[in-house]
Amino acid sequence: MRIDDFEQLRSEDLSTLPSAERRKFLKLGLAVTGIYLGGSVLSLTSVQNAYGSGGVVPEVGKYPYNPHYTMVIREKLCIDCERCKDACVKTNHVPAYGFRTTILEKRRSLSGDKFETTFMPVLCNHCNRPPCVRVCPTTATWKDEKTGIVVMNPARCIGCKTCMTACPYNARYFKEEERAVDKCDFCLLSRLSKGETTTACADACPADVRVFGDIADPASRVFKLVHSPETMVWVLRPETGAIPNIFYINS
Amino acid sequence: MKKILLLLVVGGCLFSGAVLFASGEVKEQEAYDEEAYGPEAPIVWVKPLEAVVFEHKVHTMDAGLDCGSCHDDLFEMENGVAEEKDDFTMETLYKGGYCGACHDGSTAFASNTRCTACHIGVRGHARLRGDSGSAEKSH
Repeated sequence: MRIDDFEQLRSEDLSTLPSAERRKFLKLGLAVTGIYLGGSVLSLTSVQNAYGSGGVVPEVGKYPYNPHYTMVIREKLCIDCERCKDACVKTNHVPAYGFRTTILEKRRSLSGDKFETTFMPVLCNHCNRPPCVRVCPTTATWKDEKTGIVVMNPARCIGCKTCMTACPYNARYFKEEERAVDKCDFCLLSRLSKGETTTACADACPADVRVFGDIADPASRVFKLVHSPETMVWVLRPETGAIPNIFYINS
Repeated sequence: MKKILLLLVVGGCLFSGAVLFASGEVKEQEAYDEEAYGPEAPIVWVKPLEAVVFEHKVHTMDAGLDCGSCHDDLFEMENGVAEEKDDFTMETLYKGGYCGACHDGSTAFASNTRCTACHIGVRGHARLRGDSGSAEKSH
């Protein structure tokens, strides 16, 4: 179409819109706003069914797995001796460039040139709604039906690394030797399946920072730590909605 | 006349700044005497685990202890003797040995509190040695 022809065309801007049409549009906008406003002011949810948010700790008895393996990290006690990392590397043959668990450091400046340091052990959170599992195109990673552990089948992994991007905890790395993504499996292959009851990292910790166990069992230590009064329990990045299973406490 | 006045004002400002700066420096530089206060470089123990830091400055110059407070009853003067002993553990500290002699909760903070005040970890040790690169491993 030539530029001269364009100029002959009827304008489609607002000036040619009939006012009835404009009013109709305005009414539609008001109606939509009204519905939303009415909905939030005059909530249709009855008070009897409204519960306060229970926080990050699941309700007693509401664990999707049995045993439901979790780890409680008593953060303030961590001294970054990294024996857990060494034990993990040895047990699960982790190469030098990757990690299944690591220790992060927070430094808060105090008066003068002093710092208060907190070490934060991190690992796969074995989420109840794991983003890594959802994005895997080949179902090479999934939640173990019995224990809820997020496991990998390296043979099925095509190395697209989408799971690494999806993980909110940076808990996955690409293992060149296997041409597959590798991650913490709570030592399911290396220890739990061979009758051991705890992970290599928890076993190696000299300060009793990492407590591993079955939170579905009310007699377990993890259950008692998480469900004790006046204990502040938090998880990392709760806003992702992944429902992680690594709980942090300070007491 | 105006120019001279301006020069005086500017000069005055600069001079007072220099004086203030110098006085601040003098305040900070209270000389650390190694003879009186012990070695200035921090002592780092890597046994039984990596790593625990001890600074003479904090304990002598700042807290006012003298050499005899710890040497030679709690610690040998020679560096590295304590960490070779089997009883150089937190358990011994809780019973009043080594650092636990003062770090009992009444003289100084208890040894089972404020872990990271002394335990600087693998990362802290690397930072002390100046190779921050190794502490920031990435994949």
